Amino acid sequence: MENRSEKEIPSRKRPNLVKAHLDAITIGLKTLLTRKPMTMMYPEVSEEWPEGYRGVIIYFYDKCIGCSLCSQICPPRAIKMYKVPGDKRLRPGYDIGRCIFCGLCVEICPVDALAESKVSDKVFDKLEQMVFDPIDWTFFTKDLQKEQETRRNKVRVIIDEEVGLRYESTVTK
Amino acid sequence: MVLDIDLVGTISTYLGLPPELVRAVLAPLIYPGLGVFTVIVLFLIWAERKIAAKVQLRVGPYYVSKRLHGALQMLADGIRVAFQEVIIPLEAEKPAYILAPILSFAALTVAFAVVPGGPGIYGFSSSMSLLIVYAAISVSPILIILMGWSSSNKFSYIGAGRETLVTIAGEVTLLASLLSVAMMYKSLDILEIVEIQRQTDIIGLVANPLAALLFFIAALLLTDRIPFDLVLGEQEIVQGPFTEYTGVLYALTLALDYGKLYVLMLLFTSLFLGGWAPFDSVILGVVAVLAKTILLLLLAVFLRSVYARMRIDQVASVFWGRLFPLALLSFIISALVAPLYG
Repeated sequence: MENRSEKEIPSRKRPNLVKAHLDAITIGLKTLLTRKPMTMMYPEVSEEWPEGYRGVIIYFYDKCIGCSLCSQICPPRAIKMYKVPGDKRLRPGYDIGRCIFCGLCVEICPVDALAESKVSDKVFDKLEQMVFDPIDWTFFTKDLQKEQETRRNKVRVIIDEEVGLRYESTVTK
Repeated sequence: MVLDIDLVGTISTYLGLPPELVRAVLAPLIYPGLGVFTVIVLFLIWAERKIAAKVQLRVGPYYVSKRLHGALQMLADGIRVAFQEVIIPLEAEKPAYILAPILSFAALTVAFAVVPGGPGIYGFSSSMSLLIVYAAISVSPILIILMGWSSSNKFSYIGAGRETLVTIAGEVTLLASLLSVAMMYKSLDILEIVEIQRQTDIIGLVANPLAALLFFIAALLLTDRIPFDLVLGEQEIVQGPFTEYTGVLYALTLALDYGKLYVLMLLFTSLFLGGWAPFDSVILGVVAVLAKTILLLLLAVFLRSVYARMRIDQVASVFWGRLFPLALLSFIISALVAPLYG
């Protein structure tokens, strides 16, 4: 401690005030006039997710054998089995609000009746709307697939050393 | 010249009223007053947001009128605010709460009547017009303190306290630069000052750049522009003295700062940039004054995206420790350059 107090603290060089202000203003003006925004215009353009991206789980009623393995493995119990009128077997229903998108149900399904979509930006007005029974889930899946086919422009994000962020369209014509 | 139109004379003969009266009504209401001011404020707030966005590599206002790059955003916001319910807090001092923003804005319109907006375009001429503008502007801090007190809100109290500090620190510098200007031109009449600059072909910015710089910095402080936005410290005290205001009253408090900035920049144009200097005709003169003023306004709002905020103690020490001595120096410069203007 004694040594430290004796040691001379090297005095920092004081910046030239006028030059510093002028530099700040020129940098600001240069950015204003030369650089382009890095914003991705999200609702019109959206990002193409990589392979293996885990989004909302989709369900195919026709493939399902009603084994209920998915509801047993689901960690947050987002999948529960429902009784469907006119069907002997129990079918899975889905609560997006509880889902943690772990993908265990997709892996355990013996007949590939469940799959991971690449959608994770669905919006609901009410909590009740996030709970699907088997029939709802099937329709939701169909809507989602149709929406994906006619999806707005997809872009890939590229990190550029000069520009910063750049967006490249993944749609090949 | 063909472009010279005697608008005031035409209207006064048409209505049978004395031209002084027509002049005194037209100037504060249309140009350089409320009409043009409204358009400029709507443009300026959009420009402020757009410039800050561009410097920060964002897009800024965009979705209202995409073709104009969102230029009508402020018009949409203004209409929304105009029809919003005015909520008065239960604890508020009702008369003071309502009257303070209205009175402060009304005081500002007095300044519109005196500042010239072009050759022969002014509300009324006086040999003391510079002091009248200064007086009209310096009424508003008192009313802002009143707003803070009458809102009975902790943020408003803090904001009102800061307004006091800002006023004391800023107005000394502003007044010092104004007086050094008056000393330089040996006149307190803005019209006469512009005429002196036109006759000698030396603008005030060249003759006394220090006073111009101090005037600009003090104007930034008094109108809460970003390096010194203590009063409306959004990060700490929601909206300062204006926290509780809603609807039309909020729009008035918002327009108050921009109005002060507009008046001060018009004054800057007249005092330091020679007003309508290169032109004689009315229309070209008005265009020159407006162009200079808008350029200054854009510079003032551009600084928002460059600078960080300053603390209260930093502002006080900068204004009293650095700028006030410089203001005294600008008196000396004025004394030296005064012979230039005869």
